[in-house]
Amino acid sequence: MKAFLAAAAAVLALAATPALAQDSTADITFTFETGQPSGQIMVALYDSQSAYDGGGRPVRVERVSVTATSSVVDFADLPAGDYAMRAFHDLNGDGEMSRNPFGMPTEPFAFSNNARGNMGPAGWDRAHFTVAGDTAQTINLAQ
Amino acid sequence: MIPSRRSFLMGAAVLSATVITPDLVRAAQAAAATPNWALATGDIEADIAPRAMRLVEGRPPVGLEGVLYRNGPAKFRRPGRSARHWFDGDGLVRRFSVSGDSVELAARFVDTRKRRQEERLGAMVMPGFGTPPDPRAEIGSPDDANAANTSVLMAGDRLWALWEGGSPVAMDPQTLETEGYVTLRSDLRSMPFLAHPRVEPNGRIWNLGMGGGQAIVWRLSADGTFEDASVIDLPRASYVHDFTATTRHLVIVLQPWVRERQTMPFADGFAWRPETGTQILVVDKDDLTRRRLFETEAFGFFHLGDAWTVGDDILFDLALHRDMDFAARGASEVVEGVPLDGEPAHLGLIRLKADGTTELTRLPVVAEFPRSDPERAGLSRRLSVHTTGENRETPFARAIGVTDWGSGQTRAFDFGADHVVDEMIYVAKPRAQTEADAWLVGPSLNLAERATELHVLDVARIEDGPVATWRADVALPAAFHGVWAG
Ligand SMILES: [Fe+2]
Repeated sequence: MKAFLAAAAAVLALAATPALAQDSTADITFTFETGQPSGQIMVALYDSQSAYDGGGRPVRVERVSVTATSSVVDFADLPAGDYAMRAFHDLNGDGEMSRNPFGMPTEPFAFSNNARGNMGPAGWDRAHFTVAGDTAQTINLAQ
Repeated sequence: MIPSRRSFLMGAAVLSATVITPDLVRAAQAAAATPNWALATGDIEADIAPRAMRLVEGRPPVGLEGVLYRNGPAKFRRPGRSARHWFDGDGLVRRFSVSGDSVELAARFVDTRKRRQEERLGAMVMPGFGTPPDPRAEIGSPDDANAANTSVLMAGDRLWALWEGGSPVAMDPQTLETEGYVTLRSDLRSMPFLAHPRVEPNGRIWNLGMGGGQAIVWRLSADGTFEDASVIDLPRASYVHDFTATTRHLVIVLQPWVRERQTMPFADGFAWRPETGTQILVVDKDDLTRRRLFETEAFGFFHLGDAWTVGDDILFDLALHRDMDFAARGASEVVEGVPLDGEPAHLGLIRLKADGTTELTRLPVVAEFPRSDPERAGLSRRLSVHTTGENRETPFARAIGVTDWGSGQTRAFDFGADHVVDEMIYVAKPRAQTEADAWLVGPSLNLAERATELHVLDVARIEDGPVATWRADVALPAAFHGVWAG
């Protein structure tokens, strides 16, 4: 859990990577339902199991300020294929996943499919989804 | 440690077999030897709606008015998988309301995320104290595995169901409706909160939460509002289920059952190291950096009594176990219906002397669940209330005792082999003059009648048995701990 969170925070803290030039086929839209309207949501999208499970680079990252109880993040022009997403609600806006003194997260986090892990992040097996056309998911990021 | 190590290895061997599943093996064991006390770790299928209890003995004590809340695991088995340890069942909060000459009983499960998930799956999947992990479990926070099954605390006008590895869970004390996980401060979300807070007579609440070689020290006001918290380092990653306190000190007993591996189930990470003895850390409440460390011989324990001071010495009673085999092994066998072969705990008294030495007095009195007058918490007292009558075969008590540290004498009442006796609570009589002017209030499970009973005994004449007993039309399993809200 701890290692995952460190990796996720590091990855999500990166500035947005430029989109790779490729054939555009689909948009992926995530609607995040949150608790309090504060801070920002940090989102990382992966296009392979090795990158997602193995701490590799996300294909896209995004951050969005939270001003309502629902926030939309749109990843446009993605090739068809399998994807997985992880996100956390950076309530205090410090860019990092805050943790309690024993290392457990104190800010909400979630994965695509609203998948839940088992004493760790939800793995690719639970979180991945197939994109053939425009795809939308509503993700619960409330505490 | 050898028996539990062996049983763990046997468990591993069984798990590796593909045809004979562990569940089948345990079912066979249970069928071969279902003990008469199996009801004590039985399953309750649904909440218990409020119902009157019937007076079956004595007469209602004049002036006893209030509510006894108790918590304990009451759901262990589901078709797809069962919990493997007594400490891993779902918390059922019982409410015995005593008013005039009538007693009403209600009970509701704490509506935890654990319970919702396991209901949905039809399987007990959460790893726990002695239940191994299951790949189906969804766990993103310690509170996802929170069984809320160990004790309760009145925090102002809310009732908190307590576990020890996660947050308190707030409930409505009237309806027992679950309200949610308590976050005392946002940066301390998901920090553990032991099931054994120490409450000063003025209401201030102290507690610990354990994290290996560290503990968070919680300080709350009487109404449950957060006052302070800080993390302190401990000399060893001992298993701490309970601590104690004087008016000025926190007393943290560090038994030689030490966490050596980060693994689940939780108990499998601990090793019994009797050669290292027991350490006792005394911390000043006013300045947590001021600390003294005492040493004494090895023993295992779950429960301590309230501490007090004599001069500069600190004294407290406790239930001394020979080791922690019950935690590692016995409490699994209990829930699986296997007769035990373990030595019951005995009452002891520890004196931490001003010169830095430690005196341990062992009484030849079988005892667990020590309690005393909450108005004397941290202050000088003579009396300890405790269960007694546990034996090698049953981990459950059949008797209740009062030990007087002034005379060294224990007086007890034996309910008999048909009763599983819970911890009982000291309730001072109205206008009490002495420490013995009090009642004991607590339930037993009457195995012959297959019914839960509530008893009131007079501390001054405990050996005479209950002054009043009420019987319910339901049989609830044994519970761990409770509070009296007068
Ligand atoms: Fe306990």
